[in-house]
Amino acid sequence: MSKFIIQVNGAAYASSASYNAYLFAKSALEMGHEIIRIFFYQDGVYNTNTFNSPASDEYDITQAWRSLATEYDLQLVNCVSAALRRGIISETEANESQLSHWNMQAPFIMGGLGELVTGIEKADRVVSF
Amino acid sequence: MKKITIIFRRAPHGTAQGREALDLALLSASFEQEVSLIFMDEGVLNLLPKQKPEQAGAKDYIATFGALSLYDIDTVLVCSDSLAQFGLSEAELTIALTIADTQTISDHIQLADEVLVF
Repeated sequence: MSKFIIQVNGAAYASSASYNAYLFAKSALEMGHEIIRIFFYQDGVYNTNTFNSPASDEYDITQAWRSLATEYDLQLVNCVSAALRRGIISETEANESQLSHWNMQAPFIMGGLGELVTGIEKADRVVSF
Repeated sequence: MKKITIIFRRAPHGTAQGREALDLALLSASFEQEVSLIFMDEGVLNLLPKQKPEQAGAKDYIATFGALSLYDIDTVLVCSDSLAQFGLSEAELTIALTIADTQTISDHIQLADEVLVF
């Protein structure tokens, strides 16, 4: 069995990157591999937008990540600086910036690039999408 | 500690790839990883001097390449074929680096624990 860290760089719906990342993660977990965390970087942070509202007959990638996290107790970490510069903010940052709205919430959390690097250090393999 | 190789393949400023690749490179180095960089394809354009990223509404991260040695990022390879494609010579590049052919780059990638492509 292997330990993976998965980096998601592609925006939700703009490319197939995030869906492929999700399928890879799900398959790896089902096969008994360990995923240290999913790290959202670059446009990948758009996966974590609570306001993503696809049509009812479309795949809901944000909900898919949420369900996977609940089922496998998976860490879903946004790179906070990549997220902030793309308008993805949590309640904490909204309060700090005196904004009345936020669009990221649990199980997604904010973290630093360090969490990607420490993940890479512990993992057998990093897989980027 | 892992050997992390970061490959710059995109032109600067048109996308955020180069800037976010550099952020990751510096952060990884500050977390005591052995970081090396490879510039190839349009990524070699990151190395040109006299860029004015502000005019494209982008942050000037290019100047930060000058700080690589402060972060102990000493292995910086640039693809000779890619330089030739863009008609560039070593003298035009802003930072000290090693011109490498595709075989040398391939060998270097083989030695890395992880390769991240931007």
